[in-house]
Amino acid sequence: MFRLPGICARGLGRATRIPRRSPWVRSVTTDAALSPALLTRARVLSAEHTSLSTQLTDAFDTKIAKRVGELTPIAQAVKEWDQIQNSMVELRSILDDPETDAELRPLALEDLESSQAAIPSIVDNLKQALIPQHPFAPFPCLIEIRPGAGGDEAGLFAVEVLRMYMAYCTRRGLRATIIKQDVEDGTAEDRMSEGVIEVEADGAYDILRTESGVHRVQRVPATESKGRTHTSAVSVMVLPSFPESGASALGFDDPNSDYYIDPQEVKSEKMRAGGAGGQHVNKTESAIRLTHIPTGLSVSMQDSRSQHANRKKAWQLLRAKLAERRQEAREQETVALRRGAMGGVARMGRGDKIRTYNYSQSRCTDHRSGITLHDLHGVLEGGDGLDTVMDSVRNWMVEQEIQALAAEETAKLKNKK
Amino acid sequence: MPRIPTSTILQAYHQHRLLPRLLQECRTLDSARNELRWLRERACSIASKSTGRSTAGWRTLLRSMCIARSKGVPLQYILGDQPFGDLEILCRRGVLIPRPETEAYTVHTADLIRSYLRRRKRRGEANDDSLRIVDICSGTGCISLLLHALLAPHLKKLSVLGIDLSTTALDLAHQNLQHNLRLGLLSSRAAAEVTFARGDVLDFNSSGVPGVKQVMLGQPEFSSHGTAQCDILISNPPYISMECFRNGTTARSVRHFEPQLALVPPTRQNSTITGVSNPEDVFYHRIISLFFELQAKLLVLECGDRPQARRVVSAYTALANQLAPNDSMSVEIWPPKDGLVPDDDSLNLESEACAVLIQPKYGDP
Repeated sequence: MFRLPGICARGLGRATRIPRRSPWVRSVTTDAALSPALLTRARVLSAEHTSLSTQLTDAFDTKIAKRVGELTPIAQAVKEWDQIQNSMVELRSILDDPETDAELRPLALEDLESSQAAIPSIVDNLKQALIPQHPFAPFPCLIEIRPGAGGDEAGLFAVEVLRMYMAYCTRRGLRATIIKQDVEDGTAEDRMSEGVIEVEADGAYDILRTESGVHRVQRVPATESKGRTHTSAVSVMVLPSFPESGASALGFDDPNSDYYIDPQEVKSEKMRAGGAGGQHVNKTESAIRLTHIPTGLSVSMQDSRSQHANRKKAWQLLRAKLAERRQEAREQETVALRRGAMGGVARMGRGDKIRTYNYSQSRCTDHRSGITLHDLHGVLEGGDGLDTVMDSVRNWMVEQEIQALAAEETAKLKNKK
Repeated sequence: MPRIPTSTILQAYHQHRLLPRLLQECRTLDSARNELRWLRERACSIASKSTGRSTAGWRTLLRSMCIARSKGVPLQYILGDQPFGDLEILCRRGVLIPRPETEAYTVHTADLIRSYLRRRKRRGEANDDSLRIVDICSGTGCISLLLHALLAPHLKKLSVLGIDLSTTALDLAHQNLQHNLRLGLLSSRAAAEVTFARGDVLDFNSSGVPGVKQVMLGQPEFSSHGTAQCDILISNPPYISMECFRNGTTARSVRHFEPQLALVPPTRQNSTITGVSNPEDVFYHRIISLFFELQAKLLVLECGDRPQARRVVSAYTALANQLAPNDSMSVEIWPPKDGLVPDDDSLNLESEACAVLIQPKYGDP
C-alpha cells in the first residue's frame, strides 16, 4: 500500500521524460526570439572573422588561424541568419505586391512558412556558436564526493552518491574507477569521509560538470530510531583530470602555463613512523599527503599498496583542484564584470544547494533548472532519470550564459551612446 | 616496541572483529584498516573466482589471512604480489619483497637515463640507440623489469641482465617476467631483452657458481672481444649487519619470514677483500671494483642508512683515486637533503634507506 504513490509518481516521471539527447551536443530549447544585443555581438565577431580570414590569405599565422577556427561557426550562423531574413523580406514583398501572379502566390506562401519554421533552429545554432566552450570541456574528470552537514547520515548518503555516479558511468559506457574511498574514524565502513572517482573518457568533464554543488537528502536515516526525517548534505565537486601523457602539451613544467605547479611549493609527506627503513622493515603504510603551501590545499591518498601510485594519484588530484580553483577565480572576475552590467547574476557556485533527493516523496528536484522527477530510485541508480535531470541543467546553464552575454552587450551599447 | 593502548584495541574491535589481529603487526589503526581492506578485496576476488564454494568462503579466507598476518607473515606473501611502479611483482617465501625506497630510486634512475637520452638526441648523437643494464642481486627481478618498462619506449635496443645467487629468486624473476608480459605491463620486447642468470657476486671460488663477469661473458649482449661490458650497474645488495639483524633494528616479520641471504652479507670470508672495515659493506666494495673493471657509466647502490651511504661514497673515492684519478664523476646520495625538511625530520632521514648515485659530471653517463 505504501508503494502505491511511488509507482504512480514513477509513471508520471516517465510521462514527463524528455527524449534523451547526446550530451556531446549542446541543445538549446529557448524561444525563437534573438535579442538585438546578441545579434550585434554576433555581427561584430563575424566581421572580425572576415578581416582575419583575409589576413590569413596574405600570411599564415597559427594564432590567427586558431582564432578564425573559433569564429567560423559564428560567421556561418550569422550568414544563415542573414540569408533567411533576406529571403523572407523578398517573399513578403512578392506577397505584398498586388501584381504577383495568382499561381506564384501559394508557392511564395509555402516558402515563407518553411522559412519561418527554420528560424528557431538557426537561432539555436547562433546562440550555441556564441557560447564559448568551457576551457576544461575536452578533459576527463575526477568527481570528488564529501559528506557535509548531517554526521553519519551524510556519510551514508555520500556512499550512495558515489554508487550513483559509478552506475551512471557504467551505463553510459564511460570508464570509471574509484581511486579514493576513505572511511570515517570510529564508525562502520559504509560511512564515507571522502571519495574520488576518476572518469577516464575524454570530454567527461563537460558531461558531468552539471553535478558540482551541494546535494541535499531528506529521508528517515537507518540510524534514526524515532522515525524523524533528517536533512543532510553531500558536496560533489567535478574537477578536470589532466592525463599524464599530455604533460608536455599542457605545459606542466612550463612556469607560464596555467597548469604549472612549482614542485618547490608542494610539501610531500610520507605517513610513516620514523626509524629504520629499507630492508630492515616491511611497512605497508603507503599513504602520501601533498600540501600546496601558497594555497594551503592538501590532498592525501592511501588506497594503493604502492607509495609511488599513491603519489601519482595525489598529484593528479592536486593539479585538478588547483586548476579548478584558478578557473573559478577567473569566472569570479567575469561575474564581477557582468554584475556591473546586470545588477546581480544568478550564478550557482560550489557552495549552493543544487539538488534535493526526497525519499518520502520519492522525488528528485534540481533547484537550478527547477525540474522535478518523481523517480528517485531511477535517479539514484544512475538511470535515465539522472540523464533527464542533467540535460535540464545543461539547458539551464546555456540559458544563463546567453542571458549574461545579452546583458553584457546591452550594457556595451548603452556605454557607447 | 611500545605497547598498543587497550583503548585502541577496543576501538579496533568495535570497527571490525579482525582489526585487532592486524593491529599486532601494523601498530596503527589507519594502516590496519588499509590492510584489512586490501585483504578483503583479495579474499573476495579469490572466492568469486573459485566456484562451488559456499558464500561464506571469502569470510573464512579473510579470517585465515588475518591470523597469518597477526603471526607476522608479510602482507605481500599473503597476497602473493606487490605493485612496483606500474608493474605487479609476484612475491614468494624465500625472496625479498620489493620496498618503496627501491621503487623510488629505480624510477629516479629511469628519469636520469631518459633526460640523458633526450640530451643526446638533441645533440644529434642518436645513432647509438642501445643500452646495457646489469642488475646485481636481482631478487624478484623488480628493478630489471621496471627499468625495462620505463626505458624500452625510448630505446631501440635495451638489454637487461639480472644476476642472483638464489635459484628460488631466479625462478620467481622468470615468473615475474612472464606474469607482467601476460598482463601487458611490459612490452613484448622484454621477453628477449631481459634475462636472469645465476651468479655469485662475492665470487669466493668455493661455491662453483660463476662470478658476475663470467656470467656476463656468457651473454652475447654483454661481451665483446672476450671482455665483459655494460653501461649501467644497479644493485640492492644485502646490507644489514649481523648486529642490526639481531638487536631489534630489523623488524620481527622481516627477520622471521624474509630470506637472510638477501638481507645479511656472509661474514666468513671477508678477509679476501682488503680494506673492508664493516662486514655488512662487503658487497659494495665488490660492486664498486666491478664498476671500474667493466668501465660502466652509471652506478646505483641502495644503502640501509646515511652513515652506510657515506661509507660507500668514501670507499668509492678511495678506489677512484687509486684506479682512475683523472675521471671526474659526480657522487651523490639520493634523495638529497633539501631545505624543506623540518629539523625533527632530518634525524629520521638519517636512518632511512637511500641510494648512492655515481655518474659522470654534467649528468652524462
